Amino acid sequence: MAKIGVFICHCGENIGAKIDCNKLAATVGEHPGVAVSVEYKYFCSDPGQESVKKAIRDNNLTGVVVAACSPRMHEATFRKACAEAGLNPYMCEIANIREQCSWVHTDVDMATQKAADITRSMVEKVKRNNKLQPIEVPVTRRALVIGGGIAGIQAALDIANAGQEVVLVEREPSLGGHMAQLSETFPTLDCSQCIMTPRMVEAAQHPKIRLLTYAEIVHVDGYIGNFKVKVKMKARYVDMDSCTGCGDCITKCPQKKIESEFDCSIGMRTAIYTPFAQSVPNKPVIDKANCTYFKNGKCKICMRSCQINAINFDMQDEFIDLEVGAIVVATGFQVQNNAVYGEYGYGKYPDVITGLQFERLASASGPTSGKILRPSDGKEPETIVFIQCAGSRDPSKGVRYCSKICCMYTAKHAMLYAHKVHDGKSHVFYMDIRAAGKGYDEFTRRAIEEDEASYVRGRVSKVWQKMNKLMVRGVDTLLGKPVVIAADMVVLATAMVSQPDAKEFAKTIGIGYDEYGFFNEAHLKLRPVESSTAGIFLAGACQSPKDIPDSVAQASASASKVLALFSKQKLEREPVVASNNESTCAGCWGCVLACPYNAIEKKDILDRSGKVIKRVASVNPGLCQGCGTCVTFCRSNSLDLAGFTEKQIFAEVMGL
Amino acid sequence: MTIQETYKTRAKELLSSGRVKMVVGYKAGSTPDRRRPHFIRTPEEADRLILDSACIANLSGYLITEGLLSDEKSVGIFLKPDGVRSLNILAAESQLNIEQIVVLGFDVNNNEITALKGEKAEDFSTLIESLKEHVPQTPGNPLLERIEAMNAKERFAFWEAEFSRCIKCYACRQACPMCYCRRCIVDCNQPQWVNTSSHTLGNFEWNIVRAFHLSGRCVGCGNCDRACPVNIPLRLINAKMAHEVLGAFDHFAGMSQTQEPVLASFKKDDSETFIL
Repeated sequence: MAKIGVFICHCGENIGAKIDCNKLAATVGEHPGVAVSVEYKYFCSDPGQESVKKAIRDNNLTGVVVAACSPRMHEATFRKACAEAGLNPYMCEIANIREQCSWVHTDVDMATQKAADITRSMVEKVKRNNKLQPIEVPVTRRALVIGGGIAGIQAALDIANAGQEVVLVEREPSLGGHMAQLSETFPTLDCSQCIMTPRMVEAAQHPKIRLLTYAEIVHVDGYIGNFKVKVKMKARYVDMDSCTGCGDCITKCPQKKIESEFDCSIGMRTAIYTPFAQSVPNKPVIDKANCTYFKNGKCKICMRSCQINAINFDMQDEFIDLEVGAIVVATGFQVQNNAVYGEYGYGKYPDVITGLQFERLASASGPTSGKILRPSDGKEPETIVFIQCAGSRDPSKGVRYCSKICCMYTAKHAMLYAHKVHDGKSHVFYMDIRAAGKGYDEFTRRAIEEDEASYVRGRVSKVWQKMNKLMVRGVDTLLGKPVVIAADMVVLATAMVSQPDAKEFAKTIGIGYDEYGFFNEAHLKLRPVESSTAGIFLAGACQSPKDIPDSVAQASASASKVLALFSKQKLEREPVVASNNESTCAGCWGCVLACPYNAIEKKDILDRSGKVIKRVASVNPGLCQGCGTCVTFCRSNSLDLAGFTEKQIFAEVMGL
Repeated sequence: MTIQETYKTRAKELLSSGRVKMVVGYKAGSTPDRRRPHFIRTPEEADRLILDSACIANLSGYLITEGLLSDEKSVGIFLKPDGVRSLNILAAESQLNIEQIVVLGFDVNNNEITALKGEKAEDFSTLIESLKEHVPQTPGNPLLERIEAMNAKERFAFWEAEFSRCIKCYACRQACPMCYCRRCIVDCNQPQWVNTSSHTLGNFEWNIVRAFHLSGRCVGCGNCDRACPVNIPLRLINAKMAHEVLGAFDHFAGMSQTQEPVLASFKKDDSETFIL
């Protein structure tokens, strides 16, 4: 005989204002099987929980329904309270009368009636609940960090320094990411490479970090604590073990006019190359698409120039299988292609460049050795116009969001220009100056007041070439007047966008993404570094546009989440798993394909002589995540999900 | 020699040489224009075989009769292209080993019967491929066109009237080669999801459940239509689902024995128009 206790929470005014809790308690109290039906201001408070425990003990309750907020909030709280009172925690259910009732209705009578329906439906479910026991799974204490930019490196170092193994995977030939491309960094103006390269070296030499560069994630299987990852090691055509990084091959390569990705196409590289001088590992790769040998079948000059025969043109892509317990995704961002702004002339006039290209010009290791020179004629520009929000906050052509870093780096660019070209004049077109952060507003003020950047509040409508100058027509909205500036160079503060293959990648590893391709966090405020998939964490600009301090902070936060996960030998998992009725299973294997966790296997049923009489599906409870996909797919209704059995769901529906 | 005679000879050869233990074909039915299945185990029995334009039933469902193929011996079967497609689905869903099946292929179009070359399911893949390419853009069925032109309310009323005749005899299920579950969902009574009485709700539930269970699997053979004692145009529901599945996922049921079931497979380039 069921003895169900119903506990109706007012949640202060959240529920109490729209639902008559006394009436609700009385109505539900009359429902068959309900032994106790009480209301209270805050059941989640200590006295509230104590009263639930007392009611369980005093009445020998067989089940508990807490009518309150979403189970996402306090299901764990009340299940724990039930367990402390000696009731199996899975005999406790939450009826959501806040998010799904009081918050969305205005009529008190009708909301109360609906709350009664929701609560009664849960009572019917609880009557059919089973006493489940938690499942324990082992944790592989090894983390995978995807992306070798500053966020990935920081996360890898933090995890490794705490004594856990890390595999760091980077798809480019070198660690470094976008930070390695930058000149100097706001707001302190320290040289980006000078602070970045020691981290790269530390990561590469760390005994706990296994570094895989020029490698891509092909496939991810498994679940928190037990991921199985397939990594493709792209053929470098250079033997990593024997190569000394002397660079002879690079000097000899006849293909010298390939646009360098690292230098954003304003510098050139060879077909066998390292992206930049301080590359880690400092061992070249052959760019197959541009290599003379791969194109024409003749050349191999690099091979002949190599004194230790490290070059091997027969090298093939290799695949490595990894077992890891946690994954940190730090895959970074890209800059938007400014060709969408035909009126700014990007791609048409060589002296209209992106902010990232300006970084390369200003960088001491860049193609101009840090001199600000025009890409068209190599002359020093006397006037530069910076256009902010070239893509950001522009729903028509660009992206709706703010890229967050552009106000700061444009101020930095104006500053660097002033330091390098003393009588140069810079004009900055801006919408607003967003400089929230430690030392940030002071920094932009310095650009305006000390380095005399002229800030013009308004948008640019057109850039065109006149003689040797780029004419920039815009509007000064503070003066209410159109302005035309003759510039030698135009720098666009390009929007930060997600990696072009971000959505594809998210599907490969099984995490969510937003409309822009940035990866979704589990909760924007309370769980900002966890993805919606347990065991996969986010770091850096792959989640949203971020500057370096934010990326590093998020990376360390992710690392701490990973370390917390690795602090236990075993992980306790909810026993909400599927099981199969072998006698009715038709063996169509649809569930095997449908299961996103590969948790369903084929099982032979044998007779006494060992002959297969039937083949059925069998669920591995260690792998099952309880998503229920198989249950919905199974045509013969042979699969069922513990905690959400067909009987429970049916009773719940019928209880309405 | 007529097609019937040619195939009779082939059936006899298959049996007498011991290549197959049984041939599933057609014989005379209760009226001159009806055919019923004929299970031939000896060459002599093949004499009663009939093959003409009235042989339209899809026989593939008989292949999964409990125990028929468990001795790993081969069985020959008369199949039209839709039958070959359902054979492929049965193989894809692990219900039979396609290596055991010898296909005697034929086709019926506009009351004309033609022989089809090949004897393994895969020999018909080019033909099935071309069937997929030539799926008409428009329904091509006057009744279906009429239904398509209705608004939601009219359409609901139409089906309500049609389903009101349903007596829950489940003949459609018994006739369908795809309904092979040992226990059908309508036979579950703990809980009883589908109401067993012949009332509007239960009738809708049953027919909609069947439509979903057949989406991406129905080959449009019409067995259900012909089996229905109250003449509900069941085939139209499945034809509509097949059309949706083809449009949304480029899935044409029964292309090969390795085709993945459309509702259980997930591809990265699946269209996501249905996700709000």
